Amino acid sequence: MSEPFDLSSRKLTTRKGIDTEELTGKTFPYQFDRSLVEDIDLAAATPGEDLNWLEDINLMEEDGVPAVFDRYTNAFLKIHFEIPEGRGDEYARKVLIKHLQEGNSYGVWLKHKHAKFPQPSLGSWIADSPTVGESWTPPRLEGWEQPLGH
Amino acid sequence: MVAVTAGERGVRYDIRGLAEPDAVAPKIAKIDGDTAGFDAADLSPRQINLELRRLVYGEGIREVTIDNPGAKHSIAVGILTCCRIRINGSLGYFGCGLVDGPEIHITGRVGWSVAENMMSGVVVIDKNAGSLTGAAIRGGDLVIRGHVGARTGIDQKGGTIIVGGNAGATTGFMMQRGRQIICGDAGGGLGDSMYDGSIYVAGKVASLGVDCVEAEMTPADDELIDRKFRIYGMDRPDTFRKFTCGRKLWNYDNLEPSERKLVL
Repeated sequence: MSEPFDLSSRKLTTRKGIDTEELTGKTFPYQFDRSLVEDIDLAAATPGEDLNWLEDINLMEEDGVPAVFDRYTNAFLKIHFEIPEGRGDEYARKVLIKHLQEGNSYGVWLKHKHAKFPQPSLGSWIADSPTVGESWTPPRLEGWEQPLGH
Repeated sequence: MVAVTAGERGVRYDIRGLAEPDAVAPKIAKIDGDTAGFDAADLSPRQINLELRRLVYGEGIREVTIDNPGAKHSIAVGILTCCRIRINGSLGYFGCGLVDGPEIHITGRVGWSVAENMMSGVVVIDKNAGSLTGAAIRGGDLVIRGHVGARTGIDQKGGTIIVGGNAGATTGFMMQRGRQIICGDAGGGLGDSMYDGSIYVAGKVASLGVDCVEAEMTPADDELIDRKFRIYGMDRPDTFRKFTCGRKLWNYDNLEPSERKLVL
């Protein structure tokens, strides 16, 4: 799994776009280097005998750049490498699976803090995923005191 | 974790809304290598789910068989890993909801809202299913070999729902993406207010809902149907009609462009 995100450098804007880079403050090597996703076996990474949920994942566009939508973060992940013609969906799916398997999806990463129940950190995308959510405690607002009688 | 007692029946729950907060996995499963099985006859739904999670999360079991589920509600929910689960019997409502990854086979019937919000995986039901089957699913395959009730795939955002028999009223209501393949007849109001996605029906359609129109079948549609029927060993009806969104209600692309992203 990748290092925890350092969110101190990110700059959230009020624009309508929803982009992974804006949420995490960083980009990832496989957004730029096609060779890093060539070996991804999509059938092996999904349940059942075909592509299962990846059937609904297609190459899209965000801010004029090819992108894949990460439903676990509700944000686009831009793809900056050159995509061979006619293989857009394939590479969109490979980049997304790589992103999920490496634990870089922002929504999945938030599980470390917010998961309320024990569960595999990296879901079904990788075997023997570490468990998160085993020691969740309700957040307390600093300086807040429980009202008398409660 | 603080537990609270509330209600006339004195049901205890914790701050997360979890009922039976003190329940523990009964550890009754018989484990053989990476397979396991247990009898659920005398267990509460919470105990069944705790035992199931103990096996697939804690023990690394890849195949679990549950006998005598007794049509209990909310069984096999929230399973977030690749595994195979066989349930010998029937489930009540909200079975197999919120799953992401498992392949589940139910030999009996299921109540309403089976596999609601499924993210990925496969759920196969050998007999009939109630209303709201596959509500809001986002991905994966949901196969019902029998009939289904009303509003199948309501708010569906992805995935494929296959029905071997008939489907009730308002099938595909507010569907936003994904596919439904219905081998039998469909009730009134098919595809009412659907935004996107495709519904294939082999039998009669009682009536179409608002903004649902018939479309031309393409080779890609036939490839999808052939592939799914081959995978699940089902007999394919000779012909299907395809229904999609007429896009007359498609106003919100202009009004709220970013909203469209939220349903992708």
